[in-house]
Amino acid sequence: MSESTFMGVERDRIDWSPRIDFLKCNDCMDCVEFCPHQVFEVDENAKPKLKVKNPNNCVVFCRACSKTCGPDAITFPDKAETTKMIKAIRKAEKAAEKEVEANE
Amino acid sequence: MSETICVLPCNGLDKCAGDLSRRAALQLTQSEDVELICPVLLNQNKSRYEKALEAGDLTVIDGCNTRCASKLAGDLGLAIKDKVNVSEVAKALDIKLGVEIREDQETQAVVQAVLEKINSSVIDRAESEFVEPESIDYNTFSHGKFIFKVPTANYFFNENDCWVTVSGKLARIGVSDYVQQNLSDILYVDPPEIGDEFEQFDDLGSIESSKAVFEIISPVSGTVVAVNTGLNDAPELVNESPYEKGWLVEVRLSDFEEDQDLLHDCPAYFEFLQRKVAEVDV
Ligand code: SF4
Ligand code: SF4
Repeated sequence: MSESTFMGVERDRIDWSPRIDFLKCNDCMDCVEFCPHQVFEVDENAKPKLKVKNPNNCVVFCRACSKTCGPDAITFPDKAETTKMIKAIRKAEKAAEKEVEANE
Repeated sequence: MSETICVLPCNGLDKCAGDLSRRAALQLTQSEDVELICPVLLNQNKSRYEKALEAGDLTVIDGCNTRCASKLAGDLGLAIKDKVNVSEVAKALDIKLGVEIREDQETQAVVQAVLEKINSSVIDRAESEFVEPESIDYNTFSHGKFIFKVPTANYFFNENDCWVTVSGKLARIGVSDYVQQNLSDILYVDPPEIGDEFEQFDDLGSIESSKAVFEIISPVSGTVVAVNTGLNDAPELVNESPYEKGWLVEVRLSDFEEDQDLLHDCPAYFEFLQRKVAEVDV
């Protein structure tokens, strides 16, 4: 899914994915089991075992896995900030498109 | 109030209730801001009223429960902003109308009550009830053994597959057909609290099937004014009628214009969903 986007903005320009506080995480792996989008990876030999392997697979504005987390170890970026940023990128792109059209 | 309204009454020739709907409509048109729409002409030539309907909100006055006027509007794809049913008004006043067309104190009282009802709802339309559309048209596409439907108009979607449809300052929120089919049999709906204030993309509760939990991510910002209590006993309505009977939350909008910036209209969501379905299942 290399061209994945959210509202026309390339997914990799949007910073949205779970952040794990490993001081709280107890390795229960409930989050891994819950999320159907292959965001997490588990490596039994690593420390910590849990890794946010594919942050861009995370569904923008989804926070569902954090509710499954007993010790409350999962947080997300600020939603209002993220929304603002997406709107700003869209606006800039629209303006750029207009410019291209005007120059044609 | 400079707002204009278009009034579509029942034809009014069949029985007393119809006649009263016609009388109420004629009285309303004495005001400058009201455009009367003749149901017979509308049916014959919709374009005749196009301008008026663009400029003003449509109020329908049905005579009886056959609701010819509402159905006509629905068939022609007109958005109804307000409707009044003469028979119901009469019933509330404890007046039996019967069949015979008559002009007396009782019928006058009913006409008066109908007028009051319309006037007050024009004044505080923002406070009025959510008016359900008479009928909704769908576009469909199929993928493998699945068929997905998306309304053709009047719904907006975020890319989290939640929809919103607006009626004045109120709106209803639900999940798309895609979510419903993905989850399969929905067993439980966990609604938000009435009075909760929320921003666009906040979560508004969740729905649960034996397969998974789906978080409802709000397409708009606003305040929760109602939840669909019908789902307590029948969560399967979300499966059966995801865009209509299976609505989840009713809200008072705070800034829909701003929210719309990050929403798809129906054709755009239809395309988005086609791409998404093709990608997920390769
Ligand atoms: S659910 Fe919470 S505690 Fe469990 S593995 Fe995930 S982050 Fe760690
Ligand atoms: S927020 Fe949603 S999509 Fe992202 S990792 Fe958690 S469950 Fe998966």
